[in-house]
Amino acid sequence: MTNYRDEPPIPLEPFPTVRGDSPFPPLAESVAPPAAAEPDPPSDWIERADAHDLPTRENALVALGRFAFPPAPPLDEEGVAARDRRWTSRTVMVAAVFLLVFNAVSPLNWSRQQPPGWVPETVRQLSEVWVARLAVFGVDMPRQGVREGWDAARRARFVGQTQDSGTAADGSTAAAEP
Amino acid sequence: MLFPTLAFGVFFLIVYFTAWSLDRENGKRKLFLLLASWFFYAQWDWRFVGLLIGSAILNWGVAALIARDRERRGVGPGEKGGNGWLVALGATANLLILGFFKYYGFFVQEAGELLARFGWERDLPLLQIVLPVGISFFTFQGVSYVVDVHRGKTPPAKSLLDVMLLMSFFPHLVAGPIVRASDLLPQFDRTPRLTREMATHGLLLIVWGLFKKTVIASELSTHLVDPVFFDPTAFGALDIAAAVYGYAVQIYCDFSAYSDMAIGLAALLGYSFPRNFDQPYRAASMQSFWRRWHISLSSWLRDYLYVPLGGGRRGLLASCINVFITMVLGGLWHGAALTFLAWGALHGGVQVIERLGRAVFRRPEGAEERRSVLLTVVGVLVTFHIVCLGWILFRAESFDLALQVLEGLGRAGPAVMLTPLLLALIVGGLAMHWLPPRAIEGMAERLKGAPSITLGLLIGAAILLVEAVRPEGVAPFIYFQF
Repeated sequence: MTNYRDEPPIPLEPFPTVRGDSPFPPLAESVAPPAAAEPDPPSDWIERADAHDLPTRENALVALGRFAFPPAPPLDEEGVAARDRRWTSRTVMVAAVFLLVFNAVSPLNWSRQQPPGWVPETVRQLSEVWVARLAVFGVDMPRQGVREGWDAARRARFVGQTQDSGTAADGSTAAAEP
Repeated sequence: MLFPTLAFGVFFLIVYFTAWSLDRENGKRKLFLLLASWFFYAQWDWRFVGLLIGSAILNWGVAALIARDRERRGVGPGEKGGNGWLVALGATANLLILGFFKYYGFFVQEAGELLARFGWERDLPLLQIVLPVGISFFTFQGVSYVVDVHRGKTPPAKSLLDVMLLMSFFPHLVAGPIVRASDLLPQFDRTPRLTREMATHGLLLIVWGLFKKTVIASELSTHLVDPVFFDPTAFGALDIAAAVYGYAVQIYCDFSAYSDMAIGLAALLGYSFPRNFDQPYRAASMQSFWRRWHISLSSWLRDYLYVPLGGGRRGLLASCINVFITMVLGGLWHGAALTFLAWGALHGGVQVIERLGRAVFRRPEGAEERRSVLLTVVGVLVTFHIVCLGWILFRAESFDLALQVLEGLGRAGPAVMLTPLLLALIVGGLAMHWLPPRAIEGMAERLKGAPSITLGLLIGAAILLVEAVRPEGVAPFIYFQF
């Protein structure tokens, strides 16, 4: 301000005082409003508390185990399929090995039914050794036991039936008179 | 190479592990399965592998021509349309192959006898033709593929390899089930997934099939059915009745065992086959029986024979004639013999009577469908005994022998062949029809969560039991001859 009327007015504000629009959003919009403070728990909380909601203390060994061996991430579809294939293959292999031990006589029987040749002869010789070695441990007993039971059932006859009639244990049939 | 043999077991283990090692390359996997299937088929007669290949090329070519014709005419997928002559060409070519191998000798012999009756005795050219194993099955599969492409039910296969594998895939190759292209071709598009449920179900079906075939069917066949049907005059009514019931159980256990094992083997390779048997002796009518027995054949006959003949669209009389023709031809499909024709006629005739009966005693519109337990029991018993009567025709090698069996049912005599064990097998074979309808599936559902070692031991122990009681060697499956 001045006392001289003729003096040109001194620009009080040499710089533009009106600011243009900011390219940025107003500060208030980019900052989330403060969360409302949680209300105090009701004074009777202890009466309504459920023991199962309370944090439980984990076994230290379990916690250590999870730290040492963290669980694998969940499998995708391909992973599940591969896991199921492995499971099936293991099942098949376990069954095959089980039969190779407890049904060791089967390859021997097969080789005896084949026409002579290199493969049947090799299988026969290997099987004979295999069967003989396993027989030491008695692994052929279950099969033999079942077989004997089955043969006994085959030999059974109705009351009044003769043993000669019907089928013999070896599978041959007795011709019946009309 | 029969399923229940050690040789097949080794073959399948090799195929199983090799096929899954190729799971990232579906094309190579299919090629390997095709080569394995040809190897399997060549164990019977390697010359017929050429027939299998030729048949596949024929069907692939005709289907491709049909597809091109449909495209040219603008027929959309799912719509029936195209040149009918091409379908007729494909179906006729397939049936000619089947007819030559299966029926040539039969028709020439019958024609010779007919001419002789009229005094025109001629030396017709009789040929000793070896019947290729499973020809009926892969021929029917070829026909269904060509017709389905024409009907728009299935798109043509993407490659010749797919058609060849469809027709040659070893689990169903020699005795079915008749797997339609619409069931199997989509499964060939990508490497299949094997789930635990599928694997468990497959393993249980294989064990169950082994038991039915090698224990029940073999025992009944060797010790009861074969001796009695060889000379029925030597036995009394008890033995003959036991042999007839025994054959009913034997043929069910034999054929359903093959289907079970085929479904199980395919499942272990990741493919799904349709069910082929559903407790058939529970049926309370002949129509119901054919919805439960050899389902893939009965549905084939319905879709490709009964429906084209007109089905039930032209009234009751036409439907009766059509069903009778269908069943007679179905009988002829089983074998080139008059006994099979009579068997088909019996089944067709009973179905005609049932249809007429239903038409006469039809309930009024809106009436509640209710059937008493007594009626159901009577229906089951009557149907089962008609089926058994049919089995006599089916099993006997001639009409004379069938008549001898029927006569023997009225001849008193002690039971010579029937033993407690055989009786138990017959009763057990019939009783298994009253197990829960989806017992194997239910068991698989329970066992799929078991550790692999536990399940492997269980499967191994079950096979060991079967191996311990089965006879040495194994007879071919009955349906191989068809």
